[in-house]
Amino acid sequence: MSGQVSQVRRWIGLPVVAVVLVVATITVQLTHGGGTYEPLRPADACVERSVTSRATGIDGLTERLVLIGLDEAACTLRTSREALTLQLARQSGDPTTKQVDALREGLLSAVARMKADGSLPKASALVDEVLDSADLNGLLERIIRALPDSVIDRALSTDDVLVRTIDDLDVRALLDDLDDPSALDGRVEKAVTQAVKDSLEARLRDLV
Amino acid sequence: MRRAVTPLLAVTVALVLADSAVVTLALPDILQNLDASVGQVAWVLIAYNLVLGLAAVPAAMAFGRAEPRLFSAAGIAVFAGASAWCAVAGSIEVLVAARCIQALGGALALVGCLEQLVAARGERRGVATWVTAGVIGTAAGPVAGGLLTQAISWQAIFVVQVPFAALAVPAALAARATTAPAPSADRHRPAVRANLTLALMSAALTAALFLLVLLLVEGWGRSPATAAVTVSVVAVAAVAAPWLARAFRPPADVEVAVGCFLVAGGLAGLALLPSSNLAWTVAPQVLVGLGLGLTVDRLTSQAMRLRLPRATHAGWTISARHLGVVVGLAILTPVFTGDLRDAQEPAQQAVTALVIDAPLDPQDKIAVAKALGRALADERGQVPDLAPAFASLDVAAADRPALARLERDLDDQLERAANRAFRDSFLIGAGLALAALLTLVRPGRRRPR
Repeated sequence: MSGQVSQVRRWIGLPVVAVVLVVATITVQLTHGGGTYEPLRPADACVERSVTSRATGIDGLTERLVLIGLDEAACTLRTSREALTLQLARQSGDPTTKQVDALREGLLSAVARMKADGSLPKASALVDEVLDSADLNGLLERIIRALPDSVIDRALSTDDVLVRTIDDLDVRALLDDLDDPSALDGRVEKAVTQAVKDSLEARLRDLV
Repeated sequence: MRRAVTPLLAVTVALVLADSAVVTLALPDILQNLDASVGQVAWVLIAYNLVLGLAAVPAAMAFGRAEPRLFSAAGIAVFAGASAWCAVAGSIEVLVAARCIQALGGALALVGCLEQLVAARGERRGVATWVTAGVIGTAAGPVAGGLLTQAISWQAIFVVQVPFAALAVPAALAARATTAPAPSADRHRPAVRANLTLALMSAALTAALFLLVLLLVEGWGRSPATAAVTVSVVAVAAVAAPWLARAFRPPADVEVAVGCFLVAGGLAGLALLPSSNLAWTVAPQVLVGLGLGLTVDRLTSQAMRLRLPRATHAGWTISARHLGVVVGLAILTPVFTGDLRDAQEPAQQAVTALVIDAPLDPQDKIAVAKALGRALADERGQVPDLAPAFASLDVAAADRPALARLERDLDDQLERAANRAFRDSFLIGAGLALAALLTLVRPGRRRPR
């Protein structure tokens, strides 16, 4: 009898130990995330996500607009925000018309979304920052700064200025200038200034 | 001198077989130092194993026609000279050529050392010494190579072999005279099944050692010394395996089958690592090491037992092992280099997502993106080192913790991508070990009615 037990032990002892060791190792690994230790998958660009910015004022507003706009454009182009960013960064030639149109539409949608959720700041909240960087006549600048916020907000609506700015912007040139912050700022400033003028003119026309 | 003959011959056997994988941990340094590609640098391993695998049987056959002591001494001298040549190679082509000559000398040395060890220690102990020295060399090779690379340079791997081999030349000449078997004495056919299992296991073990060190050094950015200490788990477990076998005293086929299964399980474990913490590699490596210890010496002994001429059958086992390594590298190199290439896009997308969502000012994000863009452009098919890109950034003191966290997160993403890129190769290695297990299944014999 003990001989039989010894025979069984010889035949199955080591295989049983091996199976236990392998199963235990793999089970422990799987329960700790083995098999899913992979790079982050890009989120679906068509699923709305909350966008925050550490920056305040115009920089913060611009960043949030760009991030939402990028999501919207990626959704239109049926790709991810990350893949579109990399495509635009790597592209040696001009972006395609499809990409430019998607980006413009994306930015416009971003303005609409921010207006709808109330996260778009009023014009009065941005005016001081705009005046700091604008090259205006000193007297005119002082007059504008003296205006009450309610007057500024009645005269200018942020979403209108932004929509006009986006319509005016040369997206291709903007993408070309990504490596040159001063050229980029100059181009955006020019478009914003023009948009403010157009918006004021339109407001005056409405009043008249 | 006579007393030193056996240890020196055993060390020579260990060195020749260690050379099969000794440069594994030095490959990244060789790649950079000799300005080679990943595909080219793989040939430093492939060339040695291919020549050793092809030359072993002809060398064993030629042994019968030569003066044994001169044969061994010549083989060891060629091995030593070629090792010195490897150390001074100035280009990848020269290094590969020197490795071929080194393997040729190694093939002669292995066959000669076997016969001289048998002459010095008797049939059973001589063969056992030869087999054990080979297993120790195979298991310890990557560890020794990694430590030498880290402590000195990749050239040191070859330099340190020269004095050992040079001392073994007079030892071979001073060894007890042995009579070479007559050429017509080839009475036994090669042990096909044992050699086939050995070849498949060698291919699987190549996956374990070669891929694991590449994952540690290239994928996870660990130093060669850290990688060497980490993979020493395999060698320690291989040494411990005979105790496990002695506890159960299983039949030889069961022991080999269990060894194959353990290597397959260990490789599956390496394919399913939950993080880049080195501790997670220990258990899978223990499985691989136990499998190595239970199979390689047992199969080598099975393939040689009671077969004459001994040198020719030893030649077949060397051939099986090293051609198995070549097959393993030939299968795995294109798979993991392709997977590493395919992993770049998901890794870059993950990096982009983290940079976009980082709690940094927009201008800092743009600066990070530019620095990373340059680092990724310089990667040359390897996992990039992001530290220099981050070191070049100048941000406000308040933003440094966020930047440091971003760097850690990006490194984690790259480690994840590397881990994913190696997964299929580890699983293929596990498949090779299971194929080795299948070779042990004997078709049932039908009884005549």
